[in-house]
Amino acid sequence: MSEKTLVKATTAEIINHWILAVSCILLIITGYGFVFKMEGIYALFGSNTTMKWVHNWTGVIFTFSLAGTLFNYLGEALDLSRDDWNWIKLGGGYLSKKHVQVPPMGKINTGQKLYYLAILAGGFGIAVSGLAIWLLPGMRTLIQVSHLVHNLAFVLFVVAVPAHIYLGTLANPGLLRIMIDGTVPLEVAKKRYPKWMKELGI
Amino acid sequence: MANTNENRKALLISPELCIGCRGCQTACKNWNQLSSEKTKNSGTYQNPPDLAPTAYNIIRYSEVPSESNPVRWLFVSRRCMHCGDAGCMKICPAPGALYKTKEGAVAADRDKCIGCKLCVAGCPFNVPRYDSSNKISKCTLCSDRIAEGLSPACAQTCPTGAIRFGDRNELLASAKKAGYSKVYGEADLTGLGTLYAFKDAPKIYGMDENPAIPESVIFWHNVLKPLSVIGLGGAVAGALLHYAVIGPHKDDEEVKKS
Repeated sequence: MSEKTLVKATTAEIINHWILAVSCILLIITGYGFVFKMEGIYALFGSNTTMKWVHNWTGVIFTFSLAGTLFNYLGEALDLSRDDWNWIKLGGGYLSKKHVQVPPMGKINTGQKLYYLAILAGGFGIAVSGLAIWLLPGMRTLIQVSHLVHNLAFVLFVVAVPAHIYLGTLANPGLLRIMIDGTVPLEVAKKRYPKWMKELGI
Repeated sequence: MANTNENRKALLISPELCIGCRGCQTACKNWNQLSSEKTKNSGTYQNPPDLAPTAYNIIRYSEVPSESNPVRWLFVSRRCMHCGDAGCMKICPAPGALYKTKEGAVAADRDKCIGCKLCVAGCPFNVPRYDSSNKISKCTLCSDRIAEGLSPACAQTCPTGAIRFGDRNELLASAKKAGYSKVYGEADLTGLGTLYAFKDAPKIYGMDENPAIPESVIFWHNVLKPLSVIGLGGAVAGALLHYAVIGPHKDDEEVKKS
């Protein structure tokens, strides 16, 4: 079956997204290992020090990957308008079994914008505080603040990331494809991203 | 946990008995094979200036004149307090790196320490130090000695009885008998393993009146830790519930139909 498709994500964006996703999940798993001193998780990595090494360097990869997303999503995410507010009021159309007509969206919708901004802020906080704990000498107040910031951001991640995975897979059949080959069927795109289509002149 | 430990051992420190000889510092270095570090004279007899990776205990020399004694000099022997409810153990992410001995001491296993320094943030007394290989280095109440029925090196060598070692309950009872109505560390943090018989307010001796685990660590332990489990569970459960009750968006199908 041949269908007209539209390229929504570039190869670089897709690769970076997967680096971000895999590193994030690895960090969350080792993070739980640290928070609850879970010997079973430590055992996966061999020794206590190995797991710390993996966590720290995965954190570095995550940080660079997160910085990479700035070029892909920040402009879109900051482009908030009246439509976004109305989208929020309708819960993005997720709160009803029936089809809900939401305001026209651009390349990414309000939920994705807010998710991105939250991940960006949380990611910045978790990266800076992590580096502080890792590299700066053991100053008490500094470690206390960093530990608190690191764990607050951790809570944000363990709530937001599963929600993001659900919305990108089960909740929206066909969406995962964008993070695999980068394409969307043209007809679906017209329905989902009318504002973006307008920009493209389609 | 710690309170009910009948075997709990402790040190009882009486600053007024201390003559500042520093035998405890030397004995500690000797037993634990700690090197000495070059220090600078900063105008005090206190040397080294603070606890260090190679100094598990120090005597603090503070001049605190009182009305009756214009040259009052207080010698306070400092080391790990071996808390019952130990902030370092609470915050430590590495299984087995910090542990309680059966005598109630807080001991460290260098091989399991990951060098994260969080114990520095969790300690109410600013005790943990890190050595050059980034591992925790602190007093263990000479766990290796007391397991064999010996006294810790500092107490063993103290010539005046300013540092006494024994059963915690017995030490408390003897301090009470000697007229100390309050013993520093009797109940703080479910009881400290280093007790002080202070004749004056703890502040005079440079100790916190009410030592406690830092608020941020308590908040993390009581709120953020459970929240990280409830949050993840809630997000996953919420997603499944949404899928079951409301179901997915059907953009694709709607497009095909139209």
